[in-house]
Amino acid sequence: MSKTIDINVHHVTRIEGHGNIVLKASDGTIEKLEWQVPEAPRFFEAMLRGRLWDEIQPIVCRICGICSMSHSLAAIKAVEDAMGVVVSDQTNKLRILGHYAEQLESHSLHVGYLVAPDLLGVKSVVPLASSHPDAVKTIIAIHRVGNQWMELIGGRMTHPVSLRIGGFGKLPTEHELRELKNSLEETVPKLEVLADLVLSLAGNLPAFERDTEYVALVQPGKYPFYDGDIGSTDVADPVDVHEFESVANEYVTPQSTAKWAKWHRDSYAVGSLARYNLNADNLLPLATKTAKAFGLEKGCCNPYMNSVAQIIESVHVVERALQLIDELLTAGIKPEVPHVEPRAGMGVGAVEAPRGILFHRYAFDDDGRCTSANVCIPTNQNHANIQKDLEALVPQIIDREQDEIRLMLEMLVRAYDPCVSCSTHYLDVAFV
Amino acid sequence: MQQLNDIVVVGLGNTLMTDEGIGIHVLCLLMSESGRHDHIDMVEAGSSVMSVVHSIAGRRKAIIIDCARMSEPAGTIRRFTPSEVESTKSLPHLSLHEGDLLTALRLSRDLGEHPDEVVIFGIQPETIAPGDSLSSTLQERLDYYLETIASEFHSASHTPAPGTAQPHFESHIPD
Repeated sequence: MSKTIDINVHHVTRIEGHGNIVLKASDGTIEKLEWQVPEAPRFFEAMLRGRLWDEIQPIVCRICGICSMSHSLAAIKAVEDAMGVVVSDQTNKLRILGHYAEQLESHSLHVGYLVAPDLLGVKSVVPLASSHPDAVKTIIAIHRVGNQWMELIGGRMTHPVSLRIGGFGKLPTEHELRELKNSLEETVPKLEVLADLVLSLAGNLPAFERDTEYVALVQPGKYPFYDGDIGSTDVADPVDVHEFESVANEYVTPQSTAKWAKWHRDSYAVGSLARYNLNADNLLPLATKTAKAFGLEKGCCNPYMNSVAQIIESVHVVERALQLIDELLTAGIKPEVPHVEPRAGMGVGAVEAPRGILFHRYAFDDDGRCTSANVCIPTNQNHANIQKDLEALVPQIIDREQDEIRLMLEMLVRAYDPCVSCSTHYLDVAFV
Repeated sequence: MQQLNDIVVVGLGNTLMTDEGIGIHVLCLLMSESGRHDHIDMVEAGSSVMSVVHSIAGRRKAIIIDCARMSEPAGTIRRFTPSEVESTKSLPHLSLHEGDLLTALRLSRDLGEHPDEVVIFGIQPETIAPGDSLSSTLQERLDYYLETIASEFHSASHTPAPGTAQPHFESHIPD
């Protein structure tokens, strides 16, 4: 009997922005299989040209409601690189602390609100509030700590306002850091609860593997989010972040309004699993213990395990944040006044956003006005890899029922935690 | 931790997308009125809609300001409660990450964290496109929005008992 598969997921739910999956097949032959991104470009880079050096971060922090700290840090580092600004150890530690807050906030949002419904067989987190109230309250509590943590370091829950070129506009007090430490210590057991919940459901994650190139920041002896060179699982020697265009090799394809990327192969992957595969040896003890509980090995090529890597990273950033707070308190918080002399130049900033490595490059004229801007986001670096994963996965599951295939394809896309665009969110309502 | 006030005003939106950022523009004006609203917390949630769940938890009343497509003339401001509308987004209840405010409020309600009263002030956009300034239609009405919303939370601040319903009204654009 002939079998026709016609899947048109328009749009994939529980991701950031709009993306479509199209699969058409007859009698086991794939006729069309595409990961499509139809979002209109936002032209943020054009918006930056002509702006002064200190206007860049307040603008780019609004590119995304979830990755606003990462965009802020990448931009600030790029401006400082262009203008030869060197910041203090205290500033770097506080920035890293704030960046960890975003990792916790974003990962808990993705695993708890977006992936957990797949594992529990429901369409969104809302019904889980009734069926699994304790689990949802735990997820909410972790996400809330991430929000409060962001507010303390960034001055706002999202779109940070305290960060400055050269330092901070407002520093947290030592008392506030002690309160944060208490809050994070209380978060550790909640993360263990979340990890146990996902572990109990991990059997629902498809056992699919495809040999993949993974790309992330690397730094000897560290699991870096804020500093480092560009590492790849395909080559031994990392590349300086100033060469990021030769890594991403961005290009356009007819099936997507977003750019795609490739390095040593047709595609590469960034994000939590990429970081894990490059840096797992440098995880802190509790995060290592969590990884062992899941049996996640360095070198795993199952994209569905990205969500597990996010849980492990959540534990790691809380562990490391507790150490950083102790280091800051031991040294004492010292007042600093950021000072910058604008000058012509070009600079690059690279950080690990929750979804993967993020690059910003800016050039400035003598007055410190931006003459060119290039923002290379992690989701664009993952698009080609999502397509390649789909092409490898579908032949393995083509004999299954259409609804099951559809769910597995949607789960695959969601595992990448794509952030196609969250720059608009307005209400669209009818009165009843 | 900082003591929470009974009433919170939350501004939503993205100021890089013209009128989509109206909630932030109005909130910033409210925040700039030094001394007038000291008993009220003001929170800029930007485009992080899930932050609303945390911002309103433990409050008696939440007032949310947001851009809203309501099939009204551009510039119209309407006051409504979540139960008075239904989302007409293409994915209204399936995607939290898409940022549906009504879904976030429902989650808050189901978790038992919902304030006694939630009021939304929706403002009909004229333009949603890349750009960091409001359309002239909305820009010219900022003072009106400010007074409309301020009168809501000043009346709420004098409400004696938690859970007391506020009189329903709709505020359209002035002639």
